[in-house]
Amino acid sequence: MAARDKIEVVINGVREVVPKDITIAGLIEIYNERDGGLIVEQNNRYVFPQRYGSTIVKQGDRIEFINPDFGG
Amino acid sequence: MKYTGQREISLSEEELRRYNRQIIMPLIGIEGQKRLKDACVFVAGLGGLGSISSMYLVAAGIGSLRIIDRDVVDTTNLNRQVIHWTDDMGKEKSVSALEKLKRLNPYCNIEAITGSIDDLESSAFIADASIIVDATDNLETRRVLNRVSLEKSIPFIYGGVDGFSGMVTTFVPHETPCFDCLFPFDIKKKGAIGVVGPTPGIIASIQVMEAIKLILGIEGTLKGRLLYFSGIDMLFREVKVEKNPECPVCSRYRAGL
Repeated sequence: MAARDKIEVVINGVREVVPKDITIAGLIEIYNERDGGLIVEQNNRYVFPQRYGSTIVKQGDRIEFINPDFGG
Repeated sequence: MKYTGQREISLSEEELRRYNRQIIMPLIGIEGQKRLKDACVFVAGLGGLGSISSMYLVAAGIGSLRIIDRDVVDTTNLNRQVIHWTDDMGKEKSVSALEKLKRLNPYCNIEAITGSIDDLESSAFIADASIIVDATDNLETRRVLNRVSLEKSIPFIYGGVDGFSGMVTTFVPHETPCFDCLFPFDIKKKGAIGVVGPTPGIIASIQVMEAIKLILGIEGTLKGRLLYFSGIDMLFREVKVEKNPECPVCSRYRAGL
């Protein structure tokens, strides 16, 4: 993959290089975060699950994969 | 009963002394303390979260508290469910909690039920509350509370914990996203999860802070913000959350159905 086809992002606090124009759904595949109960945050904003396939990740984005807590 | 400011609420000399450290704050004052006394809060669950939230609510002078849990106290609860003590083992949690809470503040009117929240969905026990404080331990019961919140327009303060981490946000019907906007998925049921006591202590304390601020009308709450805490990294972070336009639950209420 040529450098121009890559972007640098921060995922869960770690700098990562990922393909340009990748979607949130694509990242979930790459990072094996397919646990059904997942919250995705892009630049401090919650991403609705129905938009994972259409939300493009951009250079410099900060992405967090968060497992929600349901214990009491 | 929802706060209207129209009922005549009075505070005795003993109550004025008891709540002095709240009343001397300009943000609260005697009027704020009366608002707290006029409020009715429903705490759903009396485990790790409910132990803390019920105690702080009662200590703060909430006028009416309604509590519910269907379980009995078990040895494995005692590392974190600090309202239940060693000699309470085998006792219904609602009874164990009621005993402590009455001793903590005899000026609070407390009603306790042993049973399932699902059975109370349409009852006045929840529906007349000013605020719902979530202290449950599963997704399904939270969905029931979310429906009641939307149907009756009662703010719903969600809190959840797992291990060293937890999260909290405040759902206000028609104003913020609802629980199902944020958590539209099903998850596989886990077995028993590990939790250290301070985690529900921190999350439930924040929930009560939210409840007090909502009752007093103080801005700066967690409306539209999901706050999450990692005790491992000792970090708080927040995510901005909006109404999900495709939420099948609150969209029904938005449409007035």
